Amino acid sequence: MIEARVDLPLARFPLHVELKSGAGVTALMGPSGSGKTSLLEVLAGLRPRARGRICVDGATWLDSTAGIILPPQRRRVGYVPQDAGLFPHLTVGGNVRFGVRPDDAAAETAIDTLEIRPLLPRYPVSLSGGEKQRVALARALATRPRLLLLDEPLASLDAALRGRILPYLMRIREEWTVPCVYVTHNVGEALAIAEHLVLLRDGAVEAQGAPADLLSVPGVLHEAEGGLENLITARVVAHDAPGGVTTAELAAGVTVAVPIAAGRPLGSDLTLAIRAEDILVAMEPLPRLSARNVYPARVSALERTGASVTLRCSVEGVPRATWLVRVTPAAIEALAITPGSAVWLAVKSHSIRLV
Amino acid sequence: MAALSTAVILPFGIAAALGLAHYRGPGKGALETLLSLPLILPPTAVGILLLELLSRRAPFGAWLAARGLEVVFTWKAVILASAVMSFPLLVRSARTAFEEVDPRLVGIARTLGHGPFAAFVRVTLPLAWRGVLAGTVLAFSRALGEFGATVMIAGNIPGKTQTLALAIFHDNQIGRDDRALVLAGVTVALAFTALWLTEWITRTRGRRSEA
Repeated sequence: MIEARVDLPLARFPLHVELKSGAGVTALMGPSGSGKTSLLEVLAGLRPRARGRICVDGATWLDSTAGIILPPQRRRVGYVPQDAGLFPHLTVGGNVRFGVRPDDAAAETAIDTLEIRPLLPRYPVSLSGGEKQRVALARALATRPRLLLLDEPLASLDAALRGRILPYLMRIREEWTVPCVYVTHNVGEALAIAEHLVLLRDGAVEAQGAPADLLSVPGVLHEAEGGLENLITARVVAHDAPGGVTTAELAAGVTVAVPIAAGRPLGSDLTLAIRAEDILVAMEPLPRLSARNVYPARVSALERTGASVTLRCSVEGVPRATWLVRVTPAAIEALAITPGSAVWLAVKSHSIRLV
Repeated sequence: MAALSTAVILPFGIAAALGLAHYRGPGKGALETLLSLPLILPPTAVGILLLELLSRRAPFGAWLAARGLEVVFTWKAVILASAVMSFPLLVRSARTAFEEVDPRLVGIARTLGHGPFAAFVRVTLPLAWRGVLAGTVLAFSRALGEFGATVMIAGNIPGKTQTLALAIFHDNQIGRDDRALVLAGVTVALAFTALWLTEWITRTRGRRSEA
């Protein structure tokens, strides 16, 4: 539970943010230079000129009127900056155990969660971008933080690495249940990982709410003009090597066929990426279709973005699943799709990328 | 004497360097210029200024004397002269090193539960130590060679305030070039050892974090 109302004069504009979010992950989006990193630093206590009030889980970290400023070392935040910010003079092990409270259990769990045990004796210069991010995450978790601040943990990584870190973030989300403020440029990430979305522009909150409800805010989808991906978690239930498919479960009784991934053990979690453009929309069930994955769904909203329309669809039988589907305005007209329409969504196995 | 003066200025130099590296307020330029002044001024000018400040006629000198602290023409004056002359070298070198430490790393150390001093000891200093060491060696070598300011406020009293640099000059003046050369040899040995040691430490310690 985070409640913040902060002001901080910056060179370009004054940062003024009022923020209220429950447990879980709060995604922070906005154009570059809109004050996202500054806001994280204010929450971490690294901006002594910040004024206002910050309460996290009932503890007051900042209250200018009462003269309360909790110094950063007493806030117990786990801060992971964009470039990981590892200490170059310490080994990976030294970095992970740098926190002042020697909580070995937490450090050990973090090392296992992020699978960095083989890296412990190495120095940060010899690590890849993805390894650095995992070490920085482990270092932040090892202090058992009350709030996790992640500044675009995936931004500096290429697509392949990004896919490898994301499952770790999902694991942290599920296993550590620590509230988290997560800066991202990727709508798909925000939808997949966050319960709450805050959109910043020029230092002020433009909109905030449930991620799926904010897709109509122009800035949100505009950022994703290049490519909008749905990120979906599923659990491996079967491998069919001759058929070339791996079957995974989205929810009880709802499965998805993806390109064979025999290396993933049964029962393990997968993160699937499906581009919004790669999902077909039909108004009737489709018999004898080559696409292996067809789901009944309901359109909850339509958003016109540039030359296309983004549909927000909730898939039946899969709780909390909002899929974004991008089609042309002509298709909307031809199929007479309106909010509330019942549709069938079809996805080819080969349009699903495992990340 | 040079080593002692270096040891004396080390904590002050680090504090001043850290202050300058982080201070952003007004008068920063003036402060930096003032600190660097002994580098540019003729050492004898610094010497005479110190002499004026510390002599019994001056208020500060009188205040010290009243407390039984005699500085001028004692070994303390040698230390003081070397310290004043070498201080800017240490500060300049250390300041540059501190400025190169990413302040965000210090911030991260703070979020991991360390107070400002612990963050300095565990992050800033280990990352800047090469610059601090280089500054220390520079300061030491400057102190070793200090002549002008020392001769003004400490005089040249054999066995009391006579430094190596002063002794070499003295021996040469009285025609004992042989002794002057021996002493010169001693300074060469001292300087060489200090520089070589620094090089060695920098290289062996450096290799580890770059591997």
